[in-house]
Amino acid sequence: MSAKLNDQAVHAIELARKAGASDAFATAGQSRDVEFEYRDGKLEKVKDTTSQSLSLSVYADGRYSSHSTTDLNPGRLQSFVRDAVAMTRALEPDEFREITPERLFRDLPQQDLDLVDAKVATLDREQRVAWCRALDEAARDHKRVISATAGVYDGTSRSASASSNGFAGQHEATYCWFGSEVTLRDQGDKRASDWFYAGGAHVSDLPDAAGVGQQALERALVRLDSAKGPTMKSAMLVDSRAAGSLIGRLLRPANARSVQQGQSFWAGRLGEQAFSKQLSIVDDPLIRRGLASRRYDSEGIAASVLPIIDKGVIRNIYVDTYYGRKGDMQPTTGSPSNRRVTTGEYSLQDLLAKVNNGVYVTSWLGGNADSTTGDFSLGLRGHLIENGEIGAPVGEMNVTGNLVDLFSRLDLVGNDIYPYSSTLAPSLVFSDVDFSGA
Amino acid sequence: MSIKRREFLGTVAAGSAIVTMPAFLSGCGVQQASAIADKTPANPFMDWFAVDQATVARVMSELTANGADAADLYFQHIRSNNLRLEDGIVSAASSDIQQGVGLRVVIGDQTGYAFTEDLTLPSMLAAARTASAIASRSAEVAPQSFDPMAMGALYSTSVPWADVGIDRKLPLLKMVESKAKAMDPAIDRVSVYWNDADERVMIATLDGRLVTDHRPMTRVTVTVNAKKGDEVQSGYSNIAAREDFNWYTEERLDTMVKEAVDRTMILFDARRPPAGEMPVILASGASGILLHEAIGHGMEADFNRKGTSIYSDMIGKKVAEPFVTVVDKATIPNERGALNYDDEGNAAGKTTLVENGILKSYLHDQISARQYGLNPTGSGRRESYKYAPMPRMSCTFMEDGPHTKEEIIASVDRGIICETYTNGQVQIGAGDYTFYVKNGWLVEGGKVTAPIKDVNIIGNGPESLRQITMVANDARLDTGGWTCGKNGQSVPVSQGIPTVLVSNMTVGGENVS
Repeated sequence: MSAKLNDQAVHAIELARKAGASDAFATAGQSRDVEFEYRDGKLEKVKDTTSQSLSLSVYADGRYSSHSTTDLNPGRLQSFVRDAVAMTRALEPDEFREITPERLFRDLPQQDLDLVDAKVATLDREQRVAWCRALDEAARDHKRVISATAGVYDGTSRSASASSNGFAGQHEATYCWFGSEVTLRDQGDKRASDWFYAGGAHVSDLPDAAGVGQQALERALVRLDSAKGPTMKSAMLVDSRAAGSLIGRLLRPANARSVQQGQSFWAGRLGEQAFSKQLSIVDDPLIRRGLASRRYDSEGIAASVLPIIDKGVIRNIYVDTYYGRKGDMQPTTGSPSNRRVTTGEYSLQDLLAKVNNGVYVTSWLGGNADSTTGDFSLGLRGHLIENGEIGAPVGEMNVTGNLVDLFSRLDLVGNDIYPYSSTLAPSLVFSDVDFSGA
Repeated sequence: MSIKRREFLGTVAAGSAIVTMPAFLSGCGVQQASAIADKTPANPFMDWFAVDQATVARVMSELTANGADAADLYFQHIRSNNLRLEDGIVSAASSDIQQGVGLRVVIGDQTGYAFTEDLTLPSMLAAARTASAIASRSAEVAPQSFDPMAMGALYSTSVPWADVGIDRKLPLLKMVESKAKAMDPAIDRVSVYWNDADERVMIATLDGRLVTDHRPMTRVTVTVNAKKGDEVQSGYSNIAAREDFNWYTEERLDTMVKEAVDRTMILFDARRPPAGEMPVILASGASGILLHEAIGHGMEADFNRKGTSIYSDMIGKKVAEPFVTVVDKATIPNERGALNYDDEGNAAGKTTLVENGILKSYLHDQISARQYGLNPTGSGRRESYKYAPMPRMSCTFMEDGPHTKEEIIASVDRGIICETYTNGQVQIGAGDYTFYVKNGWLVEGGKVTAPIKDVNIIGNGPESLRQITMVANDARLDTGGWTCGKNGQSVPVSQGIPTVLVSNMTVGGENVS
């Protein structure tokens, strides 16, 4: 794929060894990214860039540090690596630091993940502008539209990694996304707005551009006349697009570092029924054309399918090599790839009918969670659910609780995965949720 | 803040995750560390970026070959260093060097942009041709030489970070740890995070100006775990500024450590407030997050020139009581949000957003200023050479009002007072904004009573401005290390406010039946 990147990574390791490192892991990367933005009938921004970088992890005298640079001038690279090794030596030794052992990368998966579409590199200005026009026309097709911005984003990234103990890997992926953001005149000075973006690794994964623009418009239109909903305790239906970020908050402390550092509500619960039986989540790096698919992680650990939660029971967390040794856990992988939430049997309509009365959340606004205790509070917008149907749009509300408690009251799971995210989540229904509003 | 729709930009690079980090010896290679000190470089072209003036002129000419209303070359070199103390040892460090040049052509409200990290003539010319493709007019006359502007002095430091070795930083991290552990026997774990950065920019513009700026930055964060029986609570505090090593006095570190420990220990007793609408007192300092979210973003002129902000038609109108004045000021020495020049090469300054209750001015970059027929306000900022600039805040704060903190607290019968925050967000069009309160107190019968924690607060920008019914005389800027995100670009900012009362906001909490 790219001999040059591989040579750069190998060269950096040689330099590090020469400077006195006992081990090193290097990644050389390059990318091309193109961005077209089109607003209200006119091309507004064209950005076309190529970028390069080198990152290097250094192990010397029982010490460790990591470094990166975009300056690949050969002379300066040499002093960069020399500085990196010298800096490592100025630190304190750490018995838990060790380069990723060979057993963790011996068996890199070999299947084709289909992450590269040669067509992406051949996209031209005409095609991108044609998409922009189609998005723009569909997104502006309403008298309330003040402004709509369409965007097309595509590119290719490549990297090669190598280590002093024999790791060698290459990663290449393309992406192509487009979508629209629409702002409508609402009551007084208020504007209603929303967006819709679609994309994937292959151009053929893209839906019809006009349909995407239209969806953005429709999402904005249902926001018109939004008002503050009531303060109450009720059921919460989170739509599949908003569910991804809620799942992300739940999983954020599901890693060896947070656990070892005593800052995780996941600590000490491996094998426990911590959440509702409706909840199963798998980290799956091997999905064909997956947005975060990979054959190895940033430390070189071979990718494999990792069950995180199975019917509410905690099966695994993310464990990298360092915190694995420090916390006495087997390394799994240090970082999430694609997170797949197991679907249920219900359509969105079924879920609305079953909830009957409650709140339908379509997006979040701000908020946070404490990873030690799981206490959370999030701003939201969406709709009231009235007699099993989507009712009046609401906003300026918060939902507050504890993540462990919330996910133990996950009652129903939809069958409607949102595909345009690396967290593949369906709609979710929770009972007895605290809402604050008017 | 808002508009975080590009998750995919984060996910596509997942195969090659990069850690950021560090320098301790000198020599980013382009120049010797001593050359970074805070004098205008005799020859910034060669001293800072190893290019010559003729090369820059040649690239500018190529960049504007198809016409331009404005154009700039943004050369940047950042070297940042990170250190981490964890479990009693400083055993993780990282460094990151980012060097490149961003090339921009502006025609009306259209922008062509490219960058390259290879500062050779062929690479820069290729990038210039790419950026110039947006335009289709006749060539502009590009300058053959550039007129150097005087270097600003808002954050002159005596020792560049490149000259400060780990041997000096390491004992400081250890000291912070031991201070935290000594403060309360319940503190059983302490981590300390260090960051410093030296950034140099050189901006050459189509109208022949050459702006140089050396921007130091540093931040220290301490996180603590406290344990009582089986219950663990964690909290943190940080301080940040455009300063050098000497800024870290023992007193400053003591204050930070005490804040972190106090904020954590109080969590054992803190509860959720009742859910719903109530009066909210915002304590002085970090509560400036209200201004950042409720009005600051909505006043950035890119949103307003497109008509997408709730403030688009409000200039000159009364938006608040006459004692409310809100400004964005980049020229406060050494603040995290301070800037001598913005990233378009315009002098940064003070913009009054609200003056005595009247909405006065948006924050402009060159594009919006031209569209409104105004001068830029020096608010064009970018995360790095990889991005085109857009209007952004710097240090946003409210000036003192006629009331006192005591009067404000005494006026509230049933509400809360908010003290520390982790993050906020806003919807530009609807005006709805939120911020997350980590620590605060119930206020009952005009008195501060029980501690509260972990609640999101949501309001509507213009409504909240109208509902600021009292403003105290204790304005101060927060010293925390705030970072603002917009359209995928992060920039350092500062914020501040006196104690204020917002008569009605929606507070996350528990429903008491």
